[in-house]
Amino acid sequence: MSTTSQTTPPRLLTLVGAVLAALFAFPTIYLIRRNFSSDDDPAGSAADTGLIELLTSERTLAPLWRTVKLAVTVSLTAALVGTALAWLTTRTDIPLRRLWRTILPLPLVFPTFIGAAAFIRTLNPGGLASGLFTSVGFDQAPELRGFFGAWLVLSLFTYPYVYLPVAARLQRLPGSLEESARVLGDSAAEAFRRIVIPQIASAVAAGTLLVFLYTISDFGAVQLMRYDTLTRAIETNYLGRASLAFALSLFLLALAVVIVGFERALQRRTHTATSARSTQSVGYSLGRWRVPGAAFVVAVGALSVGAPMIALIDWASDGLLRASRNGRPLTIDSEAVMSAAQNTLESSVLAALAAVAAVLPIAFLVGRYKSRVGSLSHSVVIATFALPGILIALSLRYWVLKSGIASDFFTDSKLVLIFAYVVRFGSLAMGITLVAVQAVPERFHDVGATLGARRLRRLRTIDLPLMAPGLLAAIGLVLLSTMKELPISLIIAPIGYRTLTTRIFGSFEDAFVAETGIMAVVLVAMSAVLTWLLVLRRAEHQ
Amino acid sequence: MRLLTPFTLVALFASACGGSSTERTLDGLAADIFSGTCAADAGQEVTIYSGRTENLIEPVLDAFACETGIGVAVRWADSTQLALLLDEEGDRTPADVFLSRSPGPVGFLEARGLLGEIDDDVLGLVDEENRSAIGSWIGFSGRKRVAVYNLDAVADSELPDSIFELTDEKWRGRVALPATNGSFVDWFTVFRDQAGTDVATKWLDDMVANGAKYYPNNRSVVEAAGRGEVDIGLVNHYYNFQEVAAVGDDHRALNHDLADDDIGSLLIITAATLTKSTDNADAANELLAYLLSEPVQRYFTEETFEYPLAAGVEPTDALPPLSALEIGTVDFDALGGGFEETTRIIDASGIANQ
Repeated sequence: MSTTSQTTPPRLLTLVGAVLAALFAFPTIYLIRRNFSSDDDPAGSAADTGLIELLTSERTLAPLWRTVKLAVTVSLTAALVGTALAWLTTRTDIPLRRLWRTILPLPLVFPTFIGAAAFIRTLNPGGLASGLFTSVGFDQAPELRGFFGAWLVLSLFTYPYVYLPVAARLQRLPGSLEESARVLGDSAAEAFRRIVIPQIASAVAAGTLLVFLYTISDFGAVQLMRYDTLTRAIETNYLGRASLAFALSLFLLALAVVIVGFERALQRRTHTATSARSTQSVGYSLGRWRVPGAAFVVAVGALSVGAPMIALIDWASDGLLRASRNGRPLTIDSEAVMSAAQNTLESSVLAALAAVAAVLPIAFLVGRYKSRVGSLSHSVVIATFALPGILIALSLRYWVLKSGIASDFFTDSKLVLIFAYVVRFGSLAMGITLVAVQAVPERFHDVGATLGARRLRRLRTIDLPLMAPGLLAAIGLVLLSTMKELPISLIIAPIGYRTLTTRIFGSFEDAFVAETGIMAVVLVAMSAVLTWLLVLRRAEHQ
Repeated sequence: MRLLTPFTLVALFASACGGSSTERTLDGLAADIFSGTCAADAGQEVTIYSGRTENLIEPVLDAFACETGIGVAVRWADSTQLALLLDEEGDRTPADVFLSRSPGPVGFLEARGLLGEIDDDVLGLVDEENRSAIGSWIGFSGRKRVAVYNLDAVADSELPDSIFELTDEKWRGRVALPATNGSFVDWFTVFRDQAGTDVATKWLDDMVANGAKYYPNNRSVVEAAGRGEVDIGLVNHYYNFQEVAAVGDDHRALNHDLADDDIGSLLIITAATLTKSTDNADAANELLAYLLSEPVQRYFTEETFEYPLAAGVEPTDALPPLSALEIGTVDFDALGGGFEETTRIIDASGIANQ
């Protein structure tokens, strides 16, 4: 590995990085303004007396502590589960690997308000799987709720944040070091510890950070599991005590900044091994561990995707059956579903491409040039993930109205919608993209430069092919997350632009469960196809 | 060819357009509200922020657009989120009308001075107790508070008459409260207003001490009661009707009406308002009047199982009759300030972590 490194980034790149940081900071600036200016807020601002006292009271600190406890345990679980699944499905001979690699990312696409509700519907007492529990000797299914329920459902819905980047990383690791270790007498476990773990550590850390940030900002799952965290206090105080809600959101952001800083410090100490383009990675034969390994993959898949799907399919089929027997007609028709699906596809693909394009310059600044501006932009992009979606939506509306004559142009514009998605989910692409950039061997660059290739040409012929699995995983993460996004889709989308998730929300709010089930099944099926096309098929054809 | 003057061209064109619009009629649920042929485009459009969901309201808006020729553009979202959006947009909002699922968001907007004045003849379509004293909102349908209970876990003889019975030892750990949900918060505000803050607060604290379980919303309480995860819950009547319509007899929960004079039988209304900055007040008022018209009120009770509030429409037979001693609906005007205190009390009770 070469140690020569271009230390000063091109000026244009630095400028782009700075502009991106400013754009991603919109919600944060809005939040700070809401907290520290009281002119238009009759409920007062954070600076008012009493509020500080309230913020440091037991009533605030207890939910804060629960949020931290949940985020730490979910992060650890998702890190372990995601890494294990990535290794099993990319490096071993467990059966049906390609199938699992299509299914395992799917929990990302469940909006948690519906995913958690479907999960409860299947697994809780009296639920659809209760026969299963009684048949194995339980009186009734255990009631999933509180800390345990929230931990379980969030771990199951967030492990893909770790799984996807780590799987992408494992696919591009040169097998030679592992081979050598084995030849020199290391057992498979030793080779994993000494060779593989250091090489995937940065991908694991980047993914785990996302899990942490997601968990502290989640509202859908924790409220259905009746676990009282900071987000519950935020969500239920917007109307009654707006100043408290905004102050608590600032708490979330502060927590995010601390943890992002922690991750940066950790990343600086880990060393990113470089990618190889064509070397075969090592495949392990699991031998007698093949069955337990497969059982683990099946168990995670069945709980995270299977359990909610059972309830969704049950709702959908009940409704279709009833409608076909002249019962109550459905309130949606295939035309409505198709147009919503089309909008979902369009907006999520655009958002995913735009998000990766937006974080790429920042990843180069940080990964190749160790630029300060890059580091700052990187932190801003990632910490924003901890903000509740509704805050991002409101802040963009605020900035659009502030933009003067441009505001008419931006009101009801798809451009603003895509931008909002990018701000919300750019963080998901940031970590993987950075790992992908760092993994391009610098000697390739040096050679390329020696041969006189221009920068853009080097990007196209050297960097992008090597980064492809990472970038595709990044696109996949943003894509699946955007497909399920709710508050921005409701508040920022042009009027009349309805997506599957907004329609699912509307149906579920008023207990139209058949409609909810049908559209959720369409959403999951669509994302399975996209995952296969994007993350799997392309990656294997490289 | 010389006969085809520009004038005749225009006439031909106009008749072609007229021809297509006279042919247009509605189908599906919207046709139950208006079955005639659609009016010609009136060249107007009302922008609506709707916290009522599309499955229920879209047929009504389609019928309105068809019958009047006034176009509608709708942003569908959660009522609270829309209230926050309207607050952020202030006088630059594109919205003319806001439809809220519960009174709270309307009280919030009224306190912020963001609501316009509704025409007197529209206000006159609703009884006094179901509209704003200062003309800033009208109720257009109602949902009654009830106790939903699991058929297998609660015997008929056990069913309570009053919410105050639920603090009794025999209900320990059996009751669900959607305590942070908009309609519960609104209900609790009225409860405080009627019975006094001390009484209401003590009731909630007693419920918490008695192991009441927290659920985030009405729907999840009804669903849990159906599965038998909880025995009884305090919710809006609407959700159990909907759940039965969707799932059928497999759903093992029923609504129980508490005594007529109990606070647990309150009627919570859904409301329509004009935004202060609307530049389209005539069309917006026309829409509000339409919501209160006979076919729409009938639609609300027959198709969405809600209580009609106007045009002399009686609740559908499936709904229990509203009591003679109805204790009144939510006084939104008092809500603005009462709301903050209610949120504080509910937070302080610790119910959300039960």
